[in-house]
Amino acid sequence: MENDINIRKNIEYISKLEGNRFKFNENKIEKEYADSQKEKSSIAIKILSIIGGFLATLAFLGFLLIAGLYDSEAGLVITGSLFTGIAIWLNVEYKKLIIDTLSVSAYAIGLFLIVFGLTALDVGGITICILLILIALLTIGITKSYILSFISVLTINGCFIYLIIDNDVYGLIHVYDAILLVLLTYVFLNEAKLLADKRFPSKLYNPIRIGLMISLITGLVFVGQRGIFDFGIKHIWASSIITIPLTIYLISIIVKIIGITNTKLLYLIYTLSILFLIPTALSPAISGALLIILLSFLVNYKTGLVIGIISFIYFISQYYYDLNYTLLTKSIILFVSGIIFLLFYLFTHKKLRQNEKV
Amino acid sequence: MLNSQKQNMERKDIEIISRHSNWTEKGIDKVLKEEVYSDSKSWKGFLNLLFISLGVGFTVSGIVFFFAFNWADLHKFTKMGLIEGLIILTTSVVLFSKLNLNVKNIILTGTSVLVGVLIAVFGQIYQTGANAYDFFLGWTLFISLWVIISNFPPLWLVFLTLVNTTFVLYSQQVASDWSEVFVFSSLFLFNSLVLVILHLLLKFRNDIKVPSWFTSILGFAAIIFSTIGIIIGIFDNHQSSFLLLILLSIVAYGAGIVYSFRTKNGFYLSLIPFSIIIIISSLLIKISEDAAMFFIVSLFIIASVTLLIKGLLDIQKKWNNGK
Repeated sequence: MENDINIRKNIEYISKLEGNRFKFNENKIEKEYADSQKEKSSIAIKILSIIGGFLATLAFLGFLLIAGLYDSEAGLVITGSLFTGIAIWLNVEYKKLIIDTLSVSAYAIGLFLIVFGLTALDVGGITICILLILIALLTIGITKSYILSFISVLTINGCFIYLIIDNDVYGLIHVYDAILLVLLTYVFLNEAKLLADKRFPSKLYNPIRIGLMISLITGLVFVGQRGIFDFGIKHIWASSIITIPLTIYLISIIVKIIGITNTKLLYLIYTLSILFLIPTALSPAISGALLIILLSFLVNYKTGLVIGIISFIYFISQYYYDLNYTLLTKSIILFVSGIIFLLFYLFTHKKLRQNEKV
Repeated sequence: MLNSQKQNMERKDIEIISRHSNWTEKGIDKVLKEEVYSDSKSWKGFLNLLFISLGVGFTVSGIVFFFAFNWADLHKFTKMGLIEGLIILTTSVVLFSKLNLNVKNIILTGTSVLVGVLIAVFGQIYQTGANAYDFFLGWTLFISLWVIISNFPPLWLVFLTLVNTTFVLYSQQVASDWSEVFVFSSLFLFNSLVLVILHLLLKFRNDIKVPSWFTSILGFAAIIFSTIGIIIGIFDNHQSSFLLLILLSIVAYGAGIVYSFRTKNGFYLSLIPFSIIIIISSLLIKISEDAAMFFIVSLFIIASVTLLIKGLLDIQKKWNNGK
């Protein structure tokens, strides 16, 4: 089989690099290859299971609402726990893609029922959130499945956002953004470390990465502008204290990859980058989205790149509706940034070509 | 010295092998950087594209914002003259400079947006209203030559969006007696026709290249229009051309599925059945809005999506083996 030859070739190559210390379990590797060949998941299949699961959840909640089956609070909590348990069990027992829709619906219905039941029992928001976070962590730990882990990461971050809004501590959204920014950058830049570390289940790498990315974008929406979601978040620029240095740090990595060593050139690059980033400090969402784009391209992660570009365009257009600056100010900032990029373009166009010739 | 040639290892290979071995962090990092991550060359290409797109995008939006800023001091001819001047300037760059074709196309796309700004300013001065359909019609017509000559997919996308917007606005402002289903049917028909023409061109003309993201967006839009149109038709009995839309959808969906099987393309195979699942669900809810029906719909969605995924997996397996 073509596949087996490929595995051998790859293992031989790694053995050559690693030397005698390299030990591997060939049977397990071959088995996982065979399994992955049987069920090639695509992004379309993942989206189908998630959207299908949520539509089914909506229909089911509609059923409960119309049938009036929400009278017994304790009943709701118990049924909810049962559904969540079934979803987790399904994932542990059958590691197959086709049960994803079912387990997503069961999991979402379960969580909703638990929340409804506990709210009806007058349990406070903080307790419910802590409980949800615990359930989500447990789910990630037990199932290690792509879809449920992804939803759990979103649930955890959703709880934090809820807590921030419910307790009127909007300033903490900056802390939320800061933590996610650092975490996401760490996850992107330390792929090798996380894969090599046996304490970290490497199957969780992908769902956690995309989950963190979407949670971060949600957090950035709050600091995108002040027109639509006016929560009176003060010091909107505060998140930029994290986004800008991270972006500069990333630029220093990129510069190394491209192989620019000329000090003058480096100074110019950093000056132009800072010149562009400073005006975006007023809207940290923009530099945050730029960070996602650069990170995704760095590790060649296409889904991330597309999500990054879409959110970047979204945040730029959102910025238009920000009521705190006059259109003239915005116009000047955008225009100047545009010119800086055009300078960058002319500069990379010429300089990098020269570099190649040398 | 180990060969510097690529092994063609993918991220998945690295993940699987690392999971069942004592591969060191350093080793994984090296292979990831060599095999998966973007190298110097792709960074250069990417940055070039990023800078020119952002440069043109930001500069143009800066100009747009400047005009949206309703400054009263300038004379109306100065306002229009300024934008016209800019349009002439950018088109001259496209016509006479020696920049590479991609860059010229990006600049032309920016210029096409400026044409919209010009018409908006015109509308602002002569009080035609910001959403008037003739505004979009004019915009669409004025850039059509550029669209055809440049043949640049993003510009085509702008153009098609404008055509759709013009049509929707026309149906709201002038032809208000058209039924919603008719509007959605027309949108569906238009976008599907463009899609069919593109696929035919791709098949019979080797010199024409259409990026797959372009056909995907178009197909996605067409299916959304038909799905929404049919759902409206289901819940509102008094809509004309509902039958026509159903017939059109059956033909188009059938063609889409046949096409997918021939070209081994999974995109329509996931989208079309999903549209049908949503349509059947709304039909079920139309039949009865009882609690029991919602329960059935919930089960139906889970069962049908599961079957769909199973079907997709089976087909994928077949395609992979038949390679």
